[in-house]
Amino acid sequence: MVEFVVPEPEYDRYSNRQLAAVPLAVLALALLVLAGWYLMTGAPVTPGIEFTGGTEIQIATGDSQAEIEQAFAFQPDEIQPVAGSNEYIVATQVTDTDAVRSQAEAAGYEVVSIQTRSASFGADSQRLALMGVGVAFVGMSIFTFALFRSFVPSLAVVLSAFSDIVIPLALMNVLGIPLSLGSVAALLMLIGYSVDSDILLNNHILRRRGSFYESTYRAMETGVTMTVTSISAMTVMYIVSSLFQIPLLPDLAIVLVFGLVADLMNTYMMNLSLLRWYRFEGVNR
Amino acid sequence: MNLRDNWRIVMLVVFVLASTAALFAPATSPAAGANNTTAVDGASTDPTNLKYGLQLAGGTRIRAPLVGTTAENLDIGQDERTSVRQTVVEEMDVESGDVNVRLNTGNGDAVEVLTRNVSEQRFRSALETAGVDADEATIRPGVTAETRQQTVETIQAKINRGGLSGGSVTDQRSATGEHYVVVDVPNANTTQVLNLIGDQGEVSIVAHYPVETDNGTEYRNETVLTNRQLERAQIGVADTTDSGTPHVPATLTEADGENYSEALVDLGFTSSEATGSQRCRYRDNPEDAGYCLYTVLDGDVVYAASLTPGLAESIESGEFEKAPTFLMQTTSLDEAQALQVNLRAGALPAELAVDDGTVLFLQQSLGDRFKSRALLTGLVAWLAVSGMVFLRYKSPRVALPMLATAAAEVYLLLGFAAAIGLPLNLSYIAGFIAVIGTGVDDLLIIADEILNEGEIATGRVFQNRFRKAFWVIGAAAVTTIIAMSPLAFLSLGDLQGFAIVTIVGVLIGVLVTRPAYGDVLRNLMLNQQQRD
Repeated sequence: MVEFVVPEPEYDRYSNRQLAAVPLAVLALALLVLAGWYLMTGAPVTPGIEFTGGTEIQIATGDSQAEIEQAFAFQPDEIQPVAGSNEYIVATQVTDTDAVRSQAEAAGYEVVSIQTRSASFGADSQRLALMGVGVAFVGMSIFTFALFRSFVPSLAVVLSAFSDIVIPLALMNVLGIPLSLGSVAALLMLIGYSVDSDILLNNHILRRRGSFYESTYRAMETGVTMTVTSISAMTVMYIVSSLFQIPLLPDLAIVLVFGLVADLMNTYMMNLSLLRWYRFEGVNR
Repeated sequence: MNLRDNWRIVMLVVFVLASTAALFAPATSPAAGANNTTAVDGASTDPTNLKYGLQLAGGTRIRAPLVGTTAENLDIGQDERTSVRQTVVEEMDVESGDVNVRLNTGNGDAVEVLTRNVSEQRFRSALETAGVDADEATIRPGVTAETRQQTVETIQAKINRGGLSGGSVTDQRSATGEHYVVVDVPNANTTQVLNLIGDQGEVSIVAHYPVETDNGTEYRNETVLTNRQLERAQIGVADTTDSGTPHVPATLTEADGENYSEALVDLGFTSSEATGSQRCRYRDNPEDAGYCLYTVLDGDVVYAASLTPGLAESIESGEFEKAPTFLMQTTSLDEAQALQVNLRAGALPAELAVDDGTVLFLQQSLGDRFKSRALLTGLVAWLAVSGMVFLRYKSPRVALPMLATAAAEVYLLLGFAAAIGLPLNLSYIAGFIAVIGTGVDDLLIIADEILNEGEIATGRVFQNRFRKAFWVIGAAAVTTIIAMSPLAFLSLGDLQGFAIVTIVGVLIGVLVTRPAYGDVLRNLMLNQQQRD
C-alpha cells in the first residue's frame, strides 16, 4: 500500500538566507509579472466577463463552431463546446441581452442560459472584489499581530499570506486565466488556509517545549498533511468540475491549487527561516 | 458512556437531529407552506425542504438600478412643494410625472427627476430657479427610498398578476452605496419578464383628431384619460368580444367619466363625421388617420379606434356618465392581458435601467444538471480527502470518525439552509467545499495533538491537549471569518452566499462538530488501550 509520510527535511544544511532566497525570488518574479501586466494592459490581472461586462450565452445546436461564429452579428470573443452535449458557450462584450438572444433564436438555436452584465455593473463588482480582498487581508494582518504580539513571527505569517495570493495571480496571467468571481472567492479562502498552517508552525515553535527541529517536524507532519489533502481535493474538483462545465467551481479550484502549492513553499521555507532567525538570533537582541 | 464527559458528542447528536428535522420534516420552515408549492415546480420531486436559487432551479434574474437622479439635503416648505415641482419640470423640460418632491427623507428634503441623463448642473440651476438653496444639496444617481419601495411593490404586483408565479423582488444595497432592484422569477425566460417590467407600463388614452386651419388639415393630440385616471378605474378581465375583438373593459369613476365624455364631445368625436366618413383609418393611413382614440403604452400606440356610433350616442345623451364603462380594444389577446396587468398593478414609479445591470436566464434542465453534477463534484472532492486521510493514518479508528465529522458539518449546514429557507446557488456549494476544506484541516490538528506521544491519558491530560489544539483551530477560524466578513456584510451578488455559508460553516465546525470529534477519538482510543 502507498504510504503518506511527511518527509523530514534537513534544514540544518541550509542557512536562513538560502532558505528564504527561493520563496522571495518567486515572490519577486510574481510581482514582476503583475507589474509588467499592469504596464501592458492597464490592469495587474485580466478581468473576466463578470468584471468587464458582457454576455455569455449557452446554446444547443447541431451547428459547428464556425457556423455559430457566423450566426451572430457580432464577433464572439470565445466559443466553447460543452463536453458530452451539443451545447456551446459563446462569450461576447455585447451587453444587449435581447439582441443576443434574438440573434440566437433567429439562427434556430435553443437558448439554454444567458447572462449579461453591464460594464458599469462589472466595474462596481471589480471595486467590490478589490475592497473585499483588501479589507480581508488587513483584518487578517491585524488579528495576526494581536495574536502573537511579536513582530517577526507575525510578519512571517502576513508575508507568507501575501505571497500565497500574489503567486496564483501571476500564474493566472501566465496561463491566461481571467479573474472571475470564483477566483476572488479562492483568494479569500487562501487567506484562511494560508494562515492555518502558519499559525500551526508558529505555535509549535514558539509555545511548545522541545528542540527547534523537533517542533518544526511535528508541525510539519500535521501542516503538510493538511495542505496536501486540500491540494488533492482541489485538483480533483478542478478536473471534475471543468469536465462537467459547472461555472464558478473550476476557477475556484485552480486558484486554490496554485495558492496551496505556493503555501507549502512559503510556510516551510520563508516562514521557517524567519522563525529560526528569530528564535536563535532575534530573541537575543 | 458517561454523558457528562461526552457532552460535546451529545450536542452534535442534538444538532444532527435538528438538522434532519429541518431538512425532511414537512413544512418546518414557516415560508415553506403555501408559497413553496407554487415557487418551483421541480421542487416537488425533491424530498428535502431545501430551496434552490436560479442557478440550480432555472429561471430569470434581473438586477438593475432605477433610472433617476436625486437631490438631497434640501430645505423645502410644505407649501412650496407644488411650485418647486412645477418649476423643476419646466426648467428640466421633462414630463410632470417625472419629478417628485419628497419631504423629510433620511437626508433632509429631496427632489428626484426620474429620467435618464440628467445633467447635475442643469438640475442644480433648476432647483435655484425654484427658490431652493442648492448649495448644500448632494446630487446622486438613483431615486429616493420611498420611490424605490413603491417600485419594488409595483414590480411584485405586476409579476404576480402577469401569471409568473413564485417571483420575488427585493431592494439590494451594494457596498459602494448603490441600490439595485433584484427580480427573481423561476420558470420564466428573460423576454417574458422584461415584457412585463422592462418598461414603466404607463397607459393613456389619447385623442388624435383633424383640425381645419389656414394651412389645410392639421392633426392634434390630446390626452383624454391619463394613467392615473385609468388606475383609479375598475379594470375587468381581458377577453374577446363575440365578434372576436380582444379587449379589456374599464369602468371609470363618476368624475373621470364626466371629464372624459365632455372632452370627447368638445373634440368632435361624437359627431356623425367622426363615427362615419372620418372614422379611424390608422392602420391604413397613419398620416391621415381621421378621428382616432389611441391606446398608448409607454409612448407607443398599441391600438387605434373610433367610437362606435352606439357609444357616441350614449355619450351625447349623457347615458354614458351614469355607467361610464367602455372597452379598450387591442389587436391580440396577449396585448389585452398586458394592458390589464399594467392597469391593475399600475405604472412603475421609476423605470428599471436594465442596461446598467445584469440579466441571467437559465433553463430548468441546465439547473438540474448543475445540481446533480455539483453534488457529484463535492462527493469526489470528499473522496479525495478520504483517500489522503487513510493514507496518512492507516487506522480506520482515526480516519472514519474524521470523515463522518466532515460529512456531518455539511449536513448541519444543509439543515441550516433549509431552516432559514436560503435558496441554494453554486456559490453556496463552493462554500460547502470550503467548509469541508477548513474542517478537515482542523480535524487533522485535533487528531495529531490528541494522539501525540502515544498514550491517551484520561482526564486532565486529554483536556490539556484538547485545549492546545483548540487554540490553533480557534485562531484559524477567526482568521477565516475575518477574511470572509467583508463580502458577507458589504456585498451584493454571488459571493455573498459563499461568504455567509463559509462563516456559518466555520462557526458550526468550531463550536459543535470539531470538538465532538476530539471526544469520539478519545473514547475510541481509550477502548483500544483497555483491550491491549
